[in-house]
Amino acid sequence: MTTVAARSAKRQIALYAVAGLGLAVWAFPVIWGLLTSFKTERDVLAYPPKFVFEPTLANYREVIFGASSIVPNLWSSIVVASGATLLTMLFAVPAAYALARLRYPAKRASGFYVLATQMLPPVGLIIPYYLVLQKIGGLDSYSGLILIYLTFSLPFAVWLMVSYFEDVPLEMEEAALLDRAGRLRTLWYVILPQVRGGIAVTTIFVFLNAWNEFLFAVVLGGNRVRPVTVAMFNFISVEQTQWARLAAAAMLAMAPVILIGLFAQRHIVKGLTVGAVKGGGRRT
Amino acid sequence: MTASVKLQGIVKRHGATTVLHGIDLEIRPGEFFILLGPSGSGKTTTLRILAGLETVSAGTVTMDGSDVTAKEPGERDVAMVFQSYALYPHMTVAQNIGFPLKMVGTAAGEIERAVADAAAKVDIGHLLGRTPGQLSGGQQQRVALARAIVRQPKLFLLDEPLSNLDAKLRLETRLGLHKLQRSLGATTVYVTHDQEEAMTLADRIAVFMDGRIVQVGTPREIFATPGTLAVAGFIGTPPMNLLPATWSGASVELGGANLPIAQNAGSAGAAARPVTLGVRPGDLRVVATDDGMAATVERIEDLGDSWILSLLDADERSLKLKSDRPLDVAEGSVVAVSFAPEAAHLFDATTGARL
Repeated sequence: MTTVAARSAKRQIALYAVAGLGLAVWAFPVIWGLLTSFKTERDVLAYPPKFVFEPTLANYREVIFGASSIVPNLWSSIVVASGATLLTMLFAVPAAYALARLRYPAKRASGFYVLATQMLPPVGLIIPYYLVLQKIGGLDSYSGLILIYLTFSLPFAVWLMVSYFEDVPLEMEEAALLDRAGRLRTLWYVILPQVRGGIAVTTIFVFLNAWNEFLFAVVLGGNRVRPVTVAMFNFISVEQTQWARLAAAAMLAMAPVILIGLFAQRHIVKGLTVGAVKGGGRRT
Repeated sequence: MTASVKLQGIVKRHGATTVLHGIDLEIRPGEFFILLGPSGSGKTTTLRILAGLETVSAGTVTMDGSDVTAKEPGERDVAMVFQSYALYPHMTVAQNIGFPLKMVGTAAGEIERAVADAAAKVDIGHLLGRTPGQLSGGQQQRVALARAIVRQPKLFLLDEPLSNLDAKLRLETRLGLHKLQRSLGATTVYVTHDQEEAMTLADRIAVFMDGRIVQVGTPREIFATPGTLAVAGFIGTPPMNLLPATWSGASVELGGANLPIAQNAGSAGAAARPVTLGVRPGDLRVVATDDGMAATVERIEDLGDSWILSLLDADERSLKLKSDRPLDVAEGSVVAVSFAPEAAHLFDATTGARL
């Protein structure tokens, strides 16, 4: 008994050590960034690095209220990321359902086409996108940037959602059709509630991709529409790098994402547990 | 409210394979009609064609005299119980049962009344507030039934509704189903591969084999006069003994023994004809040595109220004999077996058709 207990205690300690190490590696940049955001620029550059220092809120004051305030940029990010996410999900959900369930000509080809758009490296598309937006007057505009974000988030969301739709037992859908719900109400009342978890997960991924996007934002944005990723990059200039301000801006940019993650986590778990049908999808 | 159903020349192809080769069927109003057959025989496909969940490659589906072949499932006024029950897991039992009514805009108060009514019929009135995940398999099955009966459809379709239940519950539910169907009086089409379910529930049975209907009749007719060799081998537990024999006059020659049968091959002196002889295990009996065919007792199974003997004839073909009395024979001994002349079923040796 004691040897088993001792062995399992040793196991526990070993597990905690490994987990602790992993956590430290993962958390280090975040913690380092957090510490940096409360330092003066001089403390940031101190060597050896200072772990004990007099914290200051000057960086936050500067990036919120100062000349280099990122609040307008946060707003830009929110508009672009939310707009792109909303439109993406609006189109991706029905498109994924159609790919998963409906029978129509050239279904395989269209499914592959959706995936194929993901195979090009984005950087190769920047110049065409720039020219297109220039032609239609979409440079440095919310609608222009949202449109471009759709080009990569829509295929991604469709492909993620297809697998969730395919997991819904076909018989459940057939039951709803026989219950006179029709195609659209079947989707609304019966299918969508089954894929709630999938919708939550996909929405978060799409939002995060849009929120963190930098390449298109820096080229296709401008003075009017400058997402926070681009604004943060501006703390790095030829003369100097303002590490402390950059860190404070990064912490602010992270906040909404963390909030969404915490809020969505409960939904995701719930979405995964609901929907199990006994003997679902079996047929002899 | 209750419908007559007619299938004419239904053909179903999936690419190169033909699943149904021309199904013709007439189901009368109020009938409990069972589609019986082994897996892959086309019975479930036929049911799904009735529901409108599958299109046909050829043929027509008629309900109450009007052609519904091209109609959507929702336009046919049919309700179906799926093998998996297909309940909506995010809705309560009450919402599940009320869903078909909600979809046609029935008033909330009326839905509530109808749901309570349907739930009472299948004895789940106390479960209305739960979700399907909190129910046992038997309870889920009854919710699926209630959802089907709540809107009083013209036609009920049931796809192996008992196959996911354990043996004891299956027997109880079988009784309940029969009572429910009688009290509703609605035309019911029921798919099963279990011949015992078919025998006990059906008014009439259609036996499916390889995408064709091989026989339609009452359970008694199908059991007593199987139309083909395949039906004979499929119905009955244990299944009918089928042995090659030679038929001449009013007897068959089988394993060296000449056994009298009720059917006469015709004029004496006509050529003996090769046939397949079928005898149900319950019709075989042990007789005095000279009056039957010799067989070795391989195994005696005691089922408590009946006994099943596994026998081997002289050519090592296995036979089953079912007796409702204990028999005074020992495993390993050689006995003689025979049957009453009218218990013999004869089938053509090549076509398998009943003679």
